[in-house]
Amino acid sequence: MEENGKVRIGFYALTSCYGCQLQFAMMDEILQLLPNAEIVCWYMLERDSKEIEPVDIAFIEGSVSTEEEVELVKKIRENAKTVVAVGSCAVHGGVQSWEKDKSLDELWKTVYGDGTVKFQPKMAEPVEKYIKVDYKIYGCPPEKKDFVYAIGTLLIGSWPEDIDYPVCLECRLNGNSCVLLEKGEPCLGPVTRAGCNARCPAYGIACIGCRGAIGYDVAWFDSLARVFREKGLTKEEILERMKIFNAHNPKLEEMVNKIFEGVKE
Amino acid sequence: MKNLYLPITIDHIARIEGKGGVEIVVGDDGVKEVKLNIIEGPRFFEAISLGKKVDEALAIYPRICSFCSAAHKLTAVEAAEKAVGFTPREEIQALREVLYIGDMIESHALHLYLLVLPDYLGYSGPLHMIEEYKKEIGIALDLKNLGSWMMDELGSRAIHQENVVMGGFGKLPDKSVLETMKKRLKEALPKAEYTFELFTKLEQYEEVEGLITHIAVKPRGDVYGIYGDYLKASDGNEFPSEEYKEHIKEFVVEHSFAKHSHYHGKPFMVGAISRLVNNAGTLYGKAKELYEAHKDLLRATNPFANNLAQALELVYFTERAIDLIDEVLAKWPVKPRDEVEIRDGFGVSTTEAPRGVLVYALKVENGRVSYADIITPTAFNLAMMEQHVRMMAEKHYNDDPERLKLLAEMVVRAYDPCLSCSVHVARL
Repeated sequence: MEENGKVRIGFYALTSCYGCQLQFAMMDEILQLLPNAEIVCWYMLERDSKEIEPVDIAFIEGSVSTEEEVELVKKIRENAKTVVAVGSCAVHGGVQSWEKDKSLDELWKTVYGDGTVKFQPKMAEPVEKYIKVDYKIYGCPPEKKDFVYAIGTLLIGSWPEDIDYPVCLECRLNGNSCVLLEKGEPCLGPVTRAGCNARCPAYGIACIGCRGAIGYDVAWFDSLARVFREKGLTKEEILERMKIFNAHNPKLEEMVNKIFEGVKE
Repeated sequence: MKNLYLPITIDHIARIEGKGGVEIVVGDDGVKEVKLNIIEGPRFFEAISLGKKVDEALAIYPRICSFCSAAHKLTAVEAAEKAVGFTPREEIQALREVLYIGDMIESHALHLYLLVLPDYLGYSGPLHMIEEYKKEIGIALDLKNLGSWMMDELGSRAIHQENVVMGGFGKLPDKSVLETMKKRLKEALPKAEYTFELFTKLEQYEEVEGLITHIAVKPRGDVYGIYGDYLKASDGNEFPSEEYKEHIKEFVVEHSFAKHSHYHGKPFMVGAISRLVNNAGTLYGKAKELYEAHKDLLRATNPFANNLAQALELVYFTERAIDLIDEVLAKWPVKPRDEVEIRDGFGVSTTEAPRGVLVYALKVENGRVSYADIITPTAFNLAMMEQHVRMMAEKHYNDDPERLKLLAEMVVRAYDPCLSCSVHVARL
């Protein structure tokens, strides 16, 4: 903390759509935060940003997608008391991880052909793969209240807690009709971390899982895969959908395989 | 003795979307090299969507960029609808344009006030302007809030809308919400006009004055707007969107994860000023009056005019959204969605994103995407942008390096680049 009592904050971007920062920037609540904070680094809004300076809280958006970004996250970690991974790219590798099992070479060729670029690309990975992350803000993009809650608790010296129940719960509480059971669409609400107030199902749209799977081994990919299978989806279709935002989840394939390989659950 | 020159490098250009830098190398006989390094990592959007179900691909495309996620969603959905041979009802098209305008208003307000204005007023960023420029920051927030709220109501949220689907919308807001929207747009009009006034006073930086070829979508129905099926160039050439590849060629450059584009072998520009250059004749209302009165400032030859052109569009699109809402209300109640039969086919959609022409070309086979080509405005602009930074550098390489850096950044900011957007270009 500064001698003037201000909390030093940095907002850093790796490879992403800048949506988490935009969501953060678009909050009128920021104006209330400003008198108590020193923005040390935030390139999106501040020309006088310093990437390598000590901060109390480092917010990191984006997935690690170049060798240069591997070095950058390490430097951010060295200079930060608390590191917060923000949004689906930083936390789960983002939609750019959807085809993480394909070779980088193959993807590169599809997009760039034989062209070469002087920077070193990598397959997208979550920040946690390279450094210790103290806290995560989920979503693509996160809800504004996620930021308010996280910053609020960190500033009073407390610790924001994860949500351990699914979108499904919020959806039922809101009395929406069920996109999965009543409309037969492949809704990921049952395995996805809540906090969005079941935003998409409220519009009659099936959840694509943008907040990522619930942690603590509570995401029952297997049960949901069974329901999807009964509705006629193939294993590949189920995996494809569950991987949009969860490609790096270590439990996913194993649990879905169970349903299709006849192992007793 | 030879002078010793150091390269002038900006590692990370601030106050733009995405990550990129500028390198200017000066030699004895002037500027030797100017490079815009786009260091945002590659995300392979087209490649990862290949073989995927159409609806899932449509869900990820907006994630290319947050500043214009609605533009990406709406353009991708239209390309997919064209591919399967579906045309949405007029009122659905009108509501989609209102949603698109929400993006336009938010994006222009954010760009003009928070990203561009601090340079002119001598600040490093908008957060330092709050005390001194309460009114301006207030207007910026009001306009951006209006745009976000329009996207919330019609798109499900301000960033990465899920409510737009093939065939229409998942759900439509109540009639009363559209009436409130109309009221709020009317209240916003004076603020948009204030923005235009404010930006008429900014410097144009004649160092970068010169001929520019502008490309924009030819608006449908000859009314200044976002959707269109033809592209129009300022050299008089006009061609169907499907033929974009015959006129615009892309290529990989070594210093950027984003490709460059040439139109008939030369750099070109897209964006708000390009829309005005090509389509000012289709403006109407207050914006038309303002355009007529300030034509001399809205110069086709100067990229800085893009800032003022965006301000003019704030006025235009605010009025336009009101008219579109009226059209829809006259037909109320509106059915949100029609059934779409997913057939095989190929579709190209060209629309005007806040930063200029956005192209989506999608091929659908067996319900899956079998070809995807996405070209974003920033990818179109990069070659021209680099040329303009060079022109600025050639005039100022003897100045204080800090001054040159700021001027180079200002050229880039005038283009309102979206670097995240630009790194996903496919060549198949």
